[in-house]
Amino acid sequence: MNDFLSFALTYLPYLLQGALVTVEIAVIGVIFGSILGLLVGLGRVSKNPLLSQLSRFFIWVIRGTPLLLQLFIIHFAIPSVFSALTMPPFVSACIALSINAAAYIAEIARGAIQSIDKGQMEAARSLGLSSSQSMRRVIVPQAFRRMLPPLGNEFIALIKESSLVSTIALYDLLRTGQQIISSTYRYMEVFFLVGLIYLLLTTVMSFIIGKIEKKVGAYE
Amino acid sequence: MISCNNVVKTFNKLEVLKGIDLDVAPGEVVVIIGPSGSGKSTFLRCMNCLEVADSGTITINGKIVESKESSLNKLRQDIGMVFQQFNLFPHRTVIGNIMEAPVLLKKVTKDQAKKKGMELLKKVGLEDKVDEFPNRLSGGQKQRVAIARALAMEPKIMLFDEPTSALDPELVGEVLAVMKQLAKEGMTMVVVTHEMGFAKEVADRVIFMDGGYIVEQGSPEEIFGQPKHERTKEFLGHLK
Ligand SMILES: Nc1ncnc2c1ncn2[C@@H]1O[C@H](COP(=O)(O)OP(=O)(O)OP(=O)(O)O)[C@@H](O)[C@H]1O
Ligand SMILES: [Mg+2]
Repeated sequence: MNDFLSFALTYLPYLLQGALVTVEIAVIGVIFGSILGLLVGLGRVSKNPLLSQLSRFFIWVIRGTPLLLQLFIIHFAIPSVFSALTMPPFVSACIALSINAAAYIAEIARGAIQSIDKGQMEAARSLGLSSSQSMRRVIVPQAFRRMLPPLGNEFIALIKESSLVSTIALYDLLRTGQQIISSTYRYMEVFFLVGLIYLLLTTVMSFIIGKIEKKVGAYE
Repeated sequence: MISCNNVVKTFNKLEVLKGIDLDVAPGEVVVIIGPSGSGKSTFLRCMNCLEVADSGTITINGKIVESKESSLNKLRQDIGMVFQQFNLFPHRTVIGNIMEAPVLLKKVTKDQAKKKGMELLKKVGLEDKVDEFPNRLSGGQKQRVAIARALAMEPKIMLFDEPTSALDPELVGEVLAVMKQLAKEGMTMVVVTHEMGFAKEVADRVIFMDGGYIVEQGSPEEIFGQPKHERTKEFLGHLK
């Protein structure tokens, strides 16, 4: 036991550094994923057939293929053809996670927009608001609040799925653990610690998300 | 002020309006009554193009109602609408609901819009609810805010679709009182309602609709006193 504690204390700083990278890419993924996802979601419910078909196509492709493959395409395949698009692992990871999250968030956004009572749109239009003004000022703000719980889940999923970036030589939490193992061979202790930190991250995040939801959803 | 000519509306094969003609003069209060499903709401919603009529023409203030976005948005600013389900914006306070459209669409500052909003709230008797969210209001209060919200655009016409049907009986009076006041001030109003007392007291003209037609129309005395058509008699008989 004592031995484990001193081992843990020695390597914890490295693992926490890896955890910071994990949190960073998950946060960036959820922020850009939300922005892009909301746009794609709006495209999906748009009356413009080109927009809605394009959005549908994007969602179909991204949700129908593995995140790991998307990561490899962005980090290896595209730069192999266009060398100008070679990026550091951190940037590739953020792009892949954002695009992947966007496809799932687009469906969340679509569901939330469609769940808003159609009387809201009618009231806005009857006052003379254009359809884009009604969307922006009336529908989207309400839909966004409804998106928060599933967005929270998406964020937590992202923390876990981000471990895939360890495959493109990005030192996130998982990859840092593997690196420690390669010099110490203490699989059990390291993976136990890695698991503990993931669990801590997801638990703290669900707690924070719960707090935010309570605050923002107060009017309903 | 409003002129409807042979308005026809069909929902998938179901012909809901079968050719309706109606002219409303400035300052006139027209009450539409009729059984459920007779097309009252649909007709009202055609007037501000929430439903697009299949054929026939509707003219408001000399302008033809057509489903082209730009002209429609302008036209709707002149036509206030009040819904059975209030449809207040739940994410905005009472004053936020009222200021939304004027700030976006009229060239007024927030302060001007707020000042005007406060006057309207006073008019509907809710000046103490300015910063409340809609979910904290009773149904009657919600509907009075909805009326104030519509009035904030200074419309020339107000459409009401069963404004009191979703209210507890004891809250109906406060909403009708606001509507009576509006009528007294000379607002042009088209009101779909089951409140026959309101119709008798306020209406200049009562329209009885059934099966997609206007079956009969006249002064409240004529319609309630000596209805000519069997269907009108039957409908009014049911209400007693
Ligand atoms: N969007 C729609 N799609 C299909 N059918 C519709 C739609 N709106 C209305 N209808 C149908 O049109 C008919 C007339 O409806 P409308 O709402 O105009 O009646 P109403 O006179 O207002 O009745 P109520 O007193 O119940 O409100 C009904 O049979 C209704 O089911
Ligand atoms: Mg109706």
